[in-house]
Amino acid sequence: MKLEGTHQLDAPRERVYQCLVDPEVLQRCIPGCERLEKTAENTFAATIRTGVGSIKGVFNGTARLEDLREPEHLRIVVDGKGTPGFLKGSGDLDLEQGENGTKVSYSGDVQVGGTIASVGQRMIQGTAKMMATQFFTSLGAEAATAVGEPPPQHGFFRTALRWFSGWLRSIFRKH
Amino acid sequence: MIPAQFDYQAPATLEEAVSLLASDLDGAKVLAGGHSLIPAMKLRLAQPQLLVDIGRIKSLAYIREEGDQILIGATTTHYQLESSDLLKRICPLLPECAKSIGDVQVRNKGTIGGSIAHSDPAGDWPAAVLALGADLVLVGPNGDRTVKAEDFFVDLLTTDLQPGEILREIRIKKPSGRFGQAYQKVPHPASGFAVVGIAVHLELGDDGSCKSAAIGVTGVGTKAYRAKGVEGSLTGTNLDDDATATAATHVCDGIDPNSDLYASGEYRCHLAQVHTRRAIQAAKANVQ
Repeated sequence: MKLEGTHQLDAPRERVYQCLVDPEVLQRCIPGCERLEKTAENTFAATIRTGVGSIKGVFNGTARLEDLREPEHLRIVVDGKGTPGFLKGSGDLDLEQGENGTKVSYSGDVQVGGTIASVGQRMIQGTAKMMATQFFTSLGAEAATAVGEPPPQHGFFRTALRWFSGWLRSIFRKH
Repeated sequence: MIPAQFDYQAPATLEEAVSLLASDLDGAKVLAGGHSLIPAMKLRLAQPQLLVDIGRIKSLAYIREEGDQILIGATTTHYQLESSDLLKRICPLLPECAKSIGDVQVRNKGTIGGSIAHSDPAGDWPAAVLALGADLVLVGPNGDRTVKAEDFFVDLLTTDLQPGEILREIRIKKPSGRFGQAYQKVPHPASGFAVVGIAVHLELGDDGSCKSAAIGVTGVGTKAYRAKGVEGSLTGTNLDDDATATAATHVCDGIDPNSDLYASGEYRCHLAQVHTRRAIQAAKANVQ
């Protein structure tokens, strides 16, 4: 399956690049990433617990960064296996400095197999797009903070909103 | 094909169901007809700890008129909607849509609420409730809240339902004046899911021109959506072939169409345009 897309991030290209190769930042940005460890130069092992709706799974895998040309290009090669199936593939990321931030273009080829591929084929692309959007939104928030600043809380607004709407409803219910 | 272990509760009332859900917000899932959740559990793609079966709460399955509204309980089955004489008379889009779902076994067990809450990108009901401008009533630990269908579908399999909430009722304003409706679908030959599905609700003025149009589209994007481009282009026209064909070209505006082994994005978009045109023509022919 081919994956392609672009995302506009509100941060300079050098900063976005640093975030993309920082395992701590990546762990915070990858949806459901529970563990991301450096096992060798530019090689990482990860555990990701993720899903959409009621469909959930745990994946274990490795990611390797290649072809590093700071700050404009990198290539990521992934290989993972989990309860619902496996995935394998690679993708190129190109960073372009624009007037108001950085344009990240990605294009990759991923093979997905196992149960998820045989029964969920029609939803794989949609899931991939949804997760890419979540990842780049978080990455944008990370890159927009200065080096050394505390990282943004990705779940914060959602939690606050939920709490606030619950509170509003409880007030209206009393009347 | 055997699910992972889970607990099962069949509460007698909706209040009980809500408190059961609250006991395990991460691990509990609502079971209605079970025609999306159970297959996913058998494949172990979903492994809930607790199933709260609302399918046995009898008072949740109903279709009735109340004032200028049609009220539909969440566990009303596709078959009950398909065979409702009341709906055939006052809102024929609903039975027409129900008729197109899966096979008779699926329609006997599957529910409208389950389909909407699951938000399958190729589910039929999301398109119909969007075209009808339905309100969805959700119940949670803090009581009821109402969400417009248009705001309910967030993304692939993702809705505005928060953990602990249950979809309780679908409310639709009773169509009035001169109106026409239709649902056109290209079913996937194996699964019966919509490769594309187009639901149309037209309101006509006295001179036969299109006063307003609402078009719900499923199968094309990651979630069902209203095709505003088509609606805008159609409003004010006399719904002739030219106007219809022109309007239909806007059905994929702003949408990145799904692509899978059966249909590429480009092909899907083409199908959507053809069937939008046909659905509008059918709705016009159905005007009463």
